[in-house]
Amino acid sequence: MVVTPIPAGRNARVGLMALTFAVGMTGMGYAAVPLYRMFCQATGFGGTPRRASEATAAGVRVVAGRKMSIRFDANVDPGMKWAFHPEATTQTVAIGARSIAFFTAENTTDHDITGAASYNIAPDEAARYFTKVQCFCFTRQTLRPHEKVRMPVTYYVDPKLLDDPEVNTLQQITLSYTFHPVEAGPKG
Amino acid sequence: MATIASEFQAHGAGDAHAHDDHHEHKPSFFARWFMSTNHKDIGTLYLIFAIMAGIIGGAISGLMRAELAHPGIQYLGHIANFLGIKDASFDQQLHLWNVLITAHGLIMVFFMVMPAMIGGFGNWFVPIMIGAPDMAFPRMNNISFWLTVAGFCSLMLSAFVPGGTGNGAGIGWTAYAPLSTSGSQGPAVDFAIFSLHLAGAGSIMGAINFITTIFNMRAPGMTLHKMPLFVWSVLVTAFLLLLALPVLAAAITMLITDRNFHTTFFDPAGGGDPILFQHLFWFFGHPEVYIMILPGFGIISQIISTFSKKPVFGYLGMAYAMVAIGVVGFVVWAHHMYTTGLSEDVKMYFTTATMVIAVPTGIKIFSWIATMWGGSISFKSPMVWAIGFIFLFTVGGVTGVELANGGLDDNLQDTYYVVAHFHYVLSLGAVTALFAGFYYWFPKMSGRWHSEFLAHLHFWVFFVGVNMLFFPMHFLGQQGMPRRMPDYTPALAYWNHFASVGYMVMASSMVIFFVNIAYAFIAGKKAEGNYWGEGATTLEWTLSSPPPFHQFETLPVISDSDHH
Amino acid sequence: MTLGEVIGVAKRCMLSFGTPAALLWVPAMASAADTGGHLTADHFAIAPGGYTPMAPTPGKGMPVDAGLTFQAQYSPTGIEALWMHDHIVLWILIAVCVFVAGLLLWVIARYNKHANPVPTKTSHNTLLEVIWTGIPVLILLVVFVPSMKLLAHQYKSPPANALTVKATGNQWYWSYSYPDNGGFEVTSNILPPEEAKKRGEPVQLAADNRMVVPVGEAIRMQTFGADVIHSFAVPSLWFKLDAVPGRINEKVLTINEPGVYYGQCSELCGARHGYMPIVVEALPRPQFNAWVMTHSGAKIDGAPKTADVPKAADAKPAEAAAPAAAASGV
Repeated sequence: MVVTPIPAGRNARVGLMALTFAVGMTGMGYAAVPLYRMFCQATGFGGTPRRASEATAAGVRVVAGRKMSIRFDANVDPGMKWAFHPEATTQTVAIGARSIAFFTAENTTDHDITGAASYNIAPDEAARYFTKVQCFCFTRQTLRPHEKVRMPVTYYVDPKLLDDPEVNTLQQITLSYTFHPVEAGPKG
Repeated sequence: MATIASEFQAHGAGDAHAHDDHHEHKPSFFARWFMSTNHKDIGTLYLIFAIMAGIIGGAISGLMRAELAHPGIQYLGHIANFLGIKDASFDQQLHLWNVLITAHGLIMVFFMVMPAMIGGFGNWFVPIMIGAPDMAFPRMNNISFWLTVAGFCSLMLSAFVPGGTGNGAGIGWTAYAPLSTSGSQGPAVDFAIFSLHLAGAGSIMGAINFITTIFNMRAPGMTLHKMPLFVWSVLVTAFLLLLALPVLAAAITMLITDRNFHTTFFDPAGGGDPILFQHLFWFFGHPEVYIMILPGFGIISQIISTFSKKPVFGYLGMAYAMVAIGVVGFVVWAHHMYTTGLSEDVKMYFTTATMVIAVPTGIKIFSWIATMWGGSISFKSPMVWAIGFIFLFTVGGVTGVELANGGLDDNLQDTYYVVAHFHYVLSLGAVTALFAGFYYWFPKMSGRWHSEFLAHLHFWVFFVGVNMLFFPMHFLGQQGMPRRMPDYTPALAYWNHFASVGYMVMASSMVIFFVNIAYAFIAGKKAEGNYWGEGATTLEWTLSSPPPFHQFETLPVISDSDHH
Repeated sequence: MTLGEVIGVAKRCMLSFGTPAALLWVPAMASAADTGGHLTADHFAIAPGGYTPMAPTPGKGMPVDAGLTFQAQYSPTGIEALWMHDHIVLWILIAVCVFVAGLLLWVIARYNKHANPVPTKTSHNTLLEVIWTGIPVLILLVVFVPSMKLLAHQYKSPPANALTVKATGNQWYWSYSYPDNGGFEVTSNILPPEEAKKRGEPVQLAADNRMVVPVGEAIRMQTFGADVIHSFAVPSLWFKLDAVPGRINEKVLTINEPGVYYGQCSELCGARHGYMPIVVEALPRPQFNAWVMTHSGAKIDGAPKTADVPKAADAKPAEAAAPAAAASGV
């Protein structure tokens, strides 16, 4: 039987490697936040719609005769005194054609309220084809007491939807907004 | 490995002598138990701690089963009164219910099963089984333990500070945002989350310690492919801990900052997403269930082999089945989130991936039976517990195949069927493995025999009790009873009452357990070094019972002739 | 190829693989979901007599005393899922458990130390190991194919003109809004035990106002969480969908026959989580229309505009019934 001394340096090295691993995974946990957002934007996961520039939108081919019904849904945080509704519940558009929809929001209180909107698309699978060109949800909105505004959103349904067996029989897409109260600030 | 055992029998005797020599060097009581750096002492501390936490967690489930024994709310007011809230309002009583279910889940997962499996048996037997004198970082080992204790104290403390509707954290062990953020005012939730930070930090340190110990401190000749399966199971578990727990730590830290420092990681108002918390939680949470069961797999493998007097069948398949379970365990997490609005493709993927886990699990079940096949089985208490484990774990496993199906899960998600499933694999699986390991190693650890009769009796009463307690939960779940409910419609009363009776049977089996421990310390015979005989071939059986304070000051050498 | 395309191709392969497997027959989906697109005159018919809450049928749409299995199913996907459970999964579960128990009993009887004093030293058998890896894979394939089909059916999208109902989970009650019917909203609170008993409804499951829907039509069911996460669940319709704050979820719901179907919030949402039941009442279209018209500003879904519907005449009986509904409702 041989006494084999265990070099202390070796333990420290493996221990440190394991520790680095653990710290790395903690970092991954935090990195998951932006990665998740990017993943959602890239794949439509979680009902995240696409964004496109005016130029991209102008280049999209309109598929004549293929219509899609769009439903608009509006919500407000329970504590926020805004009346917020779509002007029309649904809209029927040609696939690929750019369209505009309006929401109205009214501050029902006697003081300024700033809101930021979160949004998603249902069903999830359609989100990667629903493309917004302009939207009130891209920036914060401040309403003065009893101010009532119309908020536009410009969008189109990407014709690539017709090539996706998952959703090419889909007849309606819902676009949902929720306004949350936020501190007034410059952040967009 | 019989060769090794005989080879070292003499050595073991020598160690017993060495034990006497070292006796005077043994530290004082305080230094020994509060500043311990000895893996066996720390293992003992972990086991005692886990038993205490188990008593509290089990008592809480007793309160829950009492409340659920009959429709209506009967006891919550009294419990609130006992906890210092006089004349609790109805909402406060209901909040207390949520506190109870939260505490039961957190205690059993983080402060009972994990400390017992990894901290207790892992600390005690991993160094011995690989022929090492101690863990790689003995002081860090001590810190791990006391962090776990501190975490437990933080959780207990949370029950006595405001947590929203009433005192305590009523967020479920899953702590979903926004119920755990904007939905629960008051410091209780912060204390509960902080307790997970502490326990998590302790477990991560433990994982680093085990990985280093197993990689660096194996005795000469103890190659990875000669390690006992229990060591393999702890190695895989340590890697799962190292990968999964930091993600939980990150996620719950985000909860804390969302609660206290105006971040919006999980708050849609600031562009966050509450579903992201669930993804992070279950990325940890699913490996976590394997963290709880894999060391149990290892224990069962040792026991089956010992009492069948045969080497483990398909050793490599067994070792790599655990690795496979660990790896696949990281890519199935969203099966806990089937009803959150996942798209069709995502649900199809997670259904498929989840069902795949049945394959390595099947390999383990069949390999255990094949180990017994052709053996010469003696039905000592650990073996009876181990056979019970195989059956109960199979029952829990097959309902997992049903729940894996996203389409079927639309009805079963968050019902008592899920409660039945995870109690069959954990309360009946992991806990049965713990008792099997306890009776297997108790004389080794204490040097005294428990009563084999009481150990058998404990098994049979426990087996009947837990089946009465948890099997009817399948019926309740299929009938549509959601989990985490303090009350139910009268049609569900029959099986709820039945389950509560089952709880009493199970609880009485625990009385037998404690009587047995008391018997061992008061009147138990002294145990010899290898009290299980020729089937017990791993290195702990070459030592005296209890082993010397410091073992293997001369490292054992594992011969090449040894094979599994 | 995008990620979506890769998944799509893989899925079509799987589904086409499943099609010829005749043993994996599943019950036909109700065709109701496919008839959308054109609304017939019946769609706008309003039953005379207004609306009176339907009395529940004992044992239908609710748990039964000491029940051992699932509630009877009243939706096409529910019938398919229950069929899959009853005819495929359950038997596999039982067979696996019986097989393992049988093996255990056999080794206990045959290989105990009295029957077999000398153990063998066998610890490898490659063929055996391949078999017990392979057979579970085959068994899983048998479960896999119908489960993919079931998922595909559950995700079938409703037609554009399907009725939309939005269930919002609040701490601690449900509210149901009907955007296609003029946007009215129904608030649904739990009934106290005595009141539930008086009305002949199951205690703990009964609510003051119900989510009323037409029978036999594909409904676009949407869920939304106002404060924390809730879950809209009805066991007898095999339906469960989380209501998440700041996010709309959608799934199709079709109910095969008229009736009252009970469910409960199924995601922990705070103190009164156990006290926010869900009651779905499915009615034939004319009766559903009559219920719709009891609400002020309501219109029948599919009608061009509120003003265009010849409401005055038709709504008369409904209005007459309104006090009754209100009296029993709140």
